[in-house]
Amino acid sequence: MGDWFTVRTWASDFSQMVADNTIGKTSFSGYSDTLAAVITETIMAVNVFAIIMGTILVLLWIERKFFARIMDRRGATMAIRSLWVGEGGEHVDWYDELPFGAGKPIRWLNGLLNNTFGSSSKYETVDRVNDRGYHGIWFLLPGLIQNVADGMKFMTKEWMVPAKADKFIFEVAPFLIITSTVMIFAFIPLSSEIYSANPELSLLFLMAIFGIAPLGVFFAGWSSNNKYTLLGGIRSAAQLTAYEIPLLVTVLSVAVLSGSLNIIEIVEFQISSGSWNLFLLPLGAGLFLITMVAEVERIPFDMPEAEAELVEGWWTEYGGMRWGLMFASEYLRSYAACLLFALFFLGGWEMPFGDSITNIIPNQDLILGSVGIGLIGLAIGMRSEYPALLAPIPLVFMSILPPVAWLLFKSWVLFALFVWIRASFHRIRTDQILEFGWRWLLPLSLVNLGIAFWLRLSAWEGGEWPLFVPGLITAIALVVFVILGIDEDTSELEGRTRPYSVYTGEVGPASPRSHEK
Amino acid sequence: MGPQHPMTHGLWTLKVKVDGETVVDTIPDLGYIHRGVEKICESRDFTKITTYCDRLCYASANTWSHSYIYAAEDLLEVEVPERAEYIRVIAVELQRIASHLMWLGAFCPDIGNLTAFVWCLREREMMLDLLQELGGSRMHYNFPRIGGVKRDLPIGFAMRARAKIKLFLDRIQETEQLLDESTVFLVRTQGVGYAKPEEMVNWGVTGPNVRAGGVNYDVRWAHPYSVYDQLDWDVSVERPSIKGADSYDRYRVRVDEMRQSALMCLDALNKIPGGAETHYSEGDPMIISKAKERAEEGKTGFHHFEDSRGESMFYMVGGGDQRGKHPYRISIRSPMFLTIPYASKCMIGYKVADIPAIMGSFDPCIGETDR
Amino acid sequence: MVFSLGIKTRGEYAEEAAQQVIDAAIVRWQGTGLEAEVRNHKSGMARPYVYIKCPRNHWRAVAKWLRFEMGADHCSMITGIHWPDGPDDCKWEVVAHLMRMNVINPPERGGWTKQVIRDPKILQDDDVPMEFEVSISIPDTRNPSVQSVQEVWMGADWNEKETWDLVGIDFEGHENMRRVLQPHDTPVGFHPLQRQHKIRYHDFEVMYDDAQGFGRKAIDEGKTK
Repeated sequence: MGDWFTVRTWASDFSQMVADNTIGKTSFSGYSDTLAAVITETIMAVNVFAIIMGTILVLLWIERKFFARIMDRRGATMAIRSLWVGEGGEHVDWYDELPFGAGKPIRWLNGLLNNTFGSSSKYETVDRVNDRGYHGIWFLLPGLIQNVADGMKFMTKEWMVPAKADKFIFEVAPFLIITSTVMIFAFIPLSSEIYSANPELSLLFLMAIFGIAPLGVFFAGWSSNNKYTLLGGIRSAAQLTAYEIPLLVTVLSVAVLSGSLNIIEIVEFQISSGSWNLFLLPLGAGLFLITMVAEVERIPFDMPEAEAELVEGWWTEYGGMRWGLMFASEYLRSYAACLLFALFFLGGWEMPFGDSITNIIPNQDLILGSVGIGLIGLAIGMRSEYPALLAPIPLVFMSILPPVAWLLFKSWVLFALFVWIRASFHRIRTDQILEFGWRWLLPLSLVNLGIAFWLRLSAWEGGEWPLFVPGLITAIALVVFVILGIDEDTSELEGRTRPYSVYTGEVGPASPRSHEK
Repeated sequence: MGPQHPMTHGLWTLKVKVDGETVVDTIPDLGYIHRGVEKICESRDFTKITTYCDRLCYASANTWSHSYIYAAEDLLEVEVPERAEYIRVIAVELQRIASHLMWLGAFCPDIGNLTAFVWCLREREMMLDLLQELGGSRMHYNFPRIGGVKRDLPIGFAMRARAKIKLFLDRIQETEQLLDESTVFLVRTQGVGYAKPEEMVNWGVTGPNVRAGGVNYDVRWAHPYSVYDQLDWDVSVERPSIKGADSYDRYRVRVDEMRQSALMCLDALNKIPGGAETHYSEGDPMIISKAKERAEEGKTGFHHFEDSRGESMFYMVGGGDQRGKHPYRISIRSPMFLTIPYASKCMIGYKVADIPAIMGSFDPCIGETDR
Repeated sequence: MVFSLGIKTRGEYAEEAAQQVIDAAIVRWQGTGLEAEVRNHKSGMARPYVYIKCPRNHWRAVAKWLRFEMGADHCSMITGIHWPDGPDDCKWEVVAHLMRMNVINPPERGGWTKQVIRDPKILQDDDVPMEFEVSISIPDTRNPSVQSVQEVWMGADWNEKETWDLVGIDFEGHENMRRVLQPHDTPVGFHPLQRQHKIRYHDFEVMYDDAQGFGRKAIDEGKTK
């Protein structure tokens, strides 16, 4: 399915028209093409930046809401609900005590809100801690503007330079970090038509720019004249360096498999060869995921900014918008990581099964593909609380989704996976991180590179993948994953949950400590 | 790692000498919240001291006020009706669960897991609700009285307590699974902070830390008081590795202690005798007005008590005629006062990143350390 | 599968064990002025503990005897009391509370450890956990001091620091004596738990006309702390 959302073509047509009508009519008409190019690039750059900056709010929203659901934590918006619903099944009718019946409208409002947004819980006696169910989608939406408020807060805070800090480097460091982070997005294509820059070796440029930020982190940590930040900066430098190498080797394997160092061509390869790279290089996808989580310094690789020991780590001394920008750069880098994963492994901007639908019903791809999705939307609509009237809305919505929306959805789902990992894991200690990176990930990434070579040279005969190749590889990956997952000593686990009784007098089951061997 | 630091669980300084990332030497510096409780109590009535003892360790208030009450009863020779003893046990064990949940909720973010923090505090809310029904407030209850307890169990308390404790026993299994099945948690806490029980006892460390070392010593059965001998419970003891108890063992012991405390509460609710005698029949004023004769000058009373963090002790010297209703001297033994120097010694040889793992696993509470 | 701990059988063993300690003390320390007796707690369950009144110059020897022969391996607390109005031979008092826990390192077998789990019903003689209270009287002096038992129990280390810091009783032979609960720059000679220091405004023994104390002055006003 071709990209019908041809923003770039529109932009270049528009700018050509502008150039022709302004300069083309003057004596400098030889420069009209240059002007057209300049205007096109400006429009595209602004568009890409606007899309990224607009949708990063969604990312932060996912982080906060998903994290809160996992943690079973009630946020501010949900807590407002307790104003009209009592706690623990008890409710004090304070408004009845007001004189002259002034409380009656409040009582009515309470009743209305209770009927719409109240809920019932299973356990009456433990109501207060258990009444955290799903209270309706309306409560989730205000969270979107939370980060706008955060941005305003950062802008109004004081930013200072510590007295003995190295002033120049202290101020250069955030500059390095944020500019290199924003530059990354110049090279990430959001669809075959929406991109800011597309040199032939865009992947190489991208990885190079991605690696500048660690330098800025190191500068920030060292120049603050603070032993905690120094520790944080050094840890960060060591960790990021250690994980750059498996990352680059994995990315190289993707490039080898797809036959090009240009990101758009990698995605085109996935579309044209009929299988996403995820099913061909599952090991590579896993490696990419782990190294990216380490590169963006999220839990479990959170050591450089570990709150418990380092009180925010390498950015302790920064305040105000300087810190706000670096905080934003952390999320921008996470976003870039998710987008890259979607581009390299998840087929980029292709609608899932879009190819199959096109093959089955040629030339009617747009309408009939959307009909299929519309039927799914109808099914969802009829099962949910929404009346069946609303069912066509998902149908219409999905049918007009431009490919860029698919790319963004995939990256958001992946970010939800990042958040899930963050909620469940602990921080790994720095020397354990480094050991893991050098001794496990690097050899595995080389193995992955070998697999990519073999696939490209031997297994691929041009055109499409024979169906069994990705199927077989995925099956092997799943089997390995399941084996690794269930490799637990159940008797030992059971022994851990049973208290050691004083009076049984028996020696408990063996609990081997593998680190001691 | 100065007084203001997210890791230290309280207000104290740990001066650490590092070589790269390895800890070479440590010096703990306490006394930031020394409030002079021992001196204040010398000019307070015996009944008024209970409120001070709640605030010694604010995370585990009931255990400290009960610890004082037993010592005061030793000094004043007061008998307690059995129903009151059962109620005291319920209050103390609920407080122990709440204290250990607070510990776990603070230990996990130290290592990086933020989810267990909220889950443990969610469980703790249930315990605090129960304690609020008993004592009237969520943190400093002033619950026991010399000769009994403040008031009887509320109507329906047993039903609510059973429901909440059963839910807690399910939920703690979930939290334990989150931690035990996470390789990262095991890698961070196993092999870190080895401590041998003989050395610990020599240093004055007691309680769950020693029980993590493989010895089932518990003041509740060694020097029994109250009705612990009539309840069904086990001492939670872990089997450590050859080098000693590591942070993982201390974590396991406390989780198991939570379970045992929960089972103890359920058992006490079953076995509590009927009646309404929750207080020594003469009531508070009689005890106080007779304090001059009961507690002559020079007469002493002390009591070793199993607090959430170890063995706490109150030593009281009566005031006699001169001092009236005040004790002459009251001396408080805090388990953490001796554990913190020991834990600081335990950290030598490990990495800076292990400091929160080790310190957190010993469960410091500075309120009782500094008194 | 849990049993309950029976107290009645253990109570007898505890009496016996306490009496054994007393007998051993009388034999060992004959003629030194050491007094030992079995006392009973009057709270909760009546259980016995050993009370020893130790003369001042024998403290370290008694401590070592208690630790190594009587098995008191845990120093619970060492504290001090100031008796300005007390009898002449006891103006200061050091009270040490010890416990016999019988904690041993779990034995190793083939690379794993075996837990040490004791059933309190069957413990006898030296195995019975025991509480000790040792009281040392110091006659009137401006610089009270006793011997330090820092090398006998490590737990005595910080307890002695605290006693010196708050009460003022020095411990001879104690390394690295420093202020532990008060700030490091507290003036020398200021030990708040001594009787001459009164708490400002809170001594309820004296009634004042202004209940909130606006007109009161501190007893030690004007003096530097």
